[in-house]
Amino acid sequence: MVGVIRRLNVLKSQLVGVRVGPGAAVLPQDVTRIHMEFAHKINGGHMGPRKFWRDVLPRLKYWNPAVPMVVNRSTDQEGPAKMVLYFREPGATLKTDAPQPSSSAEGLAKAPKPAEGERVVTIDMKNRHSDAILQEFMTKSGAVLVVPTAQDEAELLAAKDLEEKGTADRVRIKQLNDAARREKALIAQAHSEAAAIKASM
Amino acid sequence: MASLNQCLASLARLNMSAPARPAISSSTIPKFLLPSAAPLARYASGGGGMRKRPAKKKKVYKTFRSYDMAPMEQFSLCDAMRYIRAVEVGQPPASVKYEVAIKIRTHKSGPVIRNRIRLPFPVKTDTRIGVICPEDSPLMVEAQHLGAVAVGQESLFESIRQGNIPFNKLICHVDSQDALKKANLGKILGPKGLMPSAKTKTLTTDIKATVQELIGADEYRERDGVVRMAVGQLGFTPKMLSDNVKTMMNLLKQDVNNAEETHPKTIDEVVLSSTHGPGFSLDGTFDPRDGKIKAEDLQSAM
Repeated sequence: MVGVIRRLNVLKSQLVGVRVGPGAAVLPQDVTRIHMEFAHKINGGHMGPRKFWRDVLPRLKYWNPAVPMVVNRSTDQEGPAKMVLYFREPGATLKTDAPQPSSSAEGLAKAPKPAEGERVVTIDMKNRHSDAILQEFMTKSGAVLVVPTAQDEAELLAAKDLEEKGTADRVRIKQLNDAARREKALIAQAHSEAAAIKASM
Repeated sequence: MASLNQCLASLARLNMSAPARPAISSSTIPKFLLPSAAPLARYASGGGGMRKRPAKKKKVYKTFRSYDMAPMEQFSLCDAMRYIRAVEVGQPPASVKYEVAIKIRTHKSGPVIRNRIRLPFPVKTDTRIGVICPEDSPLMVEAQHLGAVAVGQESLFESIRQGNIPFNKLICHVDSQDALKKANLGKILGPKGLMPSAKTKTLTTDIKATVQELIGADEYRERDGVVRMAVGQLGFTPKMLSDNVKTMMNLLKQDVNNAEETHPKTIDEVVLSSTHGPGFSLDGTFDPRDGKIKAEDLQSAM
């Protein structure tokens, strides 16, 4: 296994990225589930929704672990790209055994019809940037942003710092390696030239 | 090589004997082409220049490297699951697996841990078993009860000949052994690795025991001092995953305790990860540390 410190550094920066950033928000109690539908690839206006799923949805899921967030990806690039938010009607109690598909990469998890006492809000995501989708999502869902704690801020800074140091180190090591490689190539050339001189004599 | 040295040496001598010594611009000519450009003083005369030191002997470690675990941040099972479920959001839950990697402090040589385990909640659910047994016998009913997808003798052979193979494991009862031999299915089943034989323990007198052994039994083994195994699907609840991990750890502890005295083993660390997720060192506790989150929150549909 990789050493403890190295693993810890990677893990910490990854986890603070899940806790802090765009999408770190707590949904109101009446949001029951979220459904997204888009295509596998980016052509046909599916880049925004894909980015939203990759970058934003993990943070939403972290802060709202109990809310089912189902992603239905299909191979149909011409197909729709939309998000459906399900809300509980005020005062209504929902059945717990309502059919709930799980995410699918083959387009099998179509958005379920709202159950009794549920209403839906749809967001069209086609041809839109993930930031724009997030903005509309925030206003339509009424989610409350999570303020990062002092510790999170410190960890974020530490992660950034580590990344910068890593970049500088990579540049330095590349220079060293390149110099060594150049010298080696020169020696090889000298050897071959000497051999050629000897052969011609 | 020798010729080059001679050549360079003569070059160097030429250089030295030149009356008006031109200043060598060492910046343009690499040093190794002109040894004379280097300081000429030789202190160890007669030694033939640079003598090669014997290569430093590399220290050979008998055990795999183990680390000080003090700086490692450890997580409860639910906390790790919360992060993993966040990272894996939107992935098909049946294809994403939870995995554990258990680091063991052990010698590099010597026997390794190797065992079979039946988890309370099997990870692989695509085991479809076909059973060859005499038609209309109580065995056939028993096999169907055990969840076999295809049962029978001549009818099964006929469907196999037609290319209809709905199973990925095939077992044969001893009573049907002769019929199987006569059926000449080796050409079809052999390449698929489905041909029942005593060697693979798929030729049996006890269908129940064999079927149960085939369904949901997993093998694990120690490689480079680490035991790795899939212990759950993304859709599992915290309770299910906890049961699986506990079962796994109990069996592994037995294996570790039963290790030979000459090659003692101890468990160093248990790391939970997932197909796309990071690895979390587990501290053996279950409940989430954040008071706002409950274990029940982590069992919604993925």
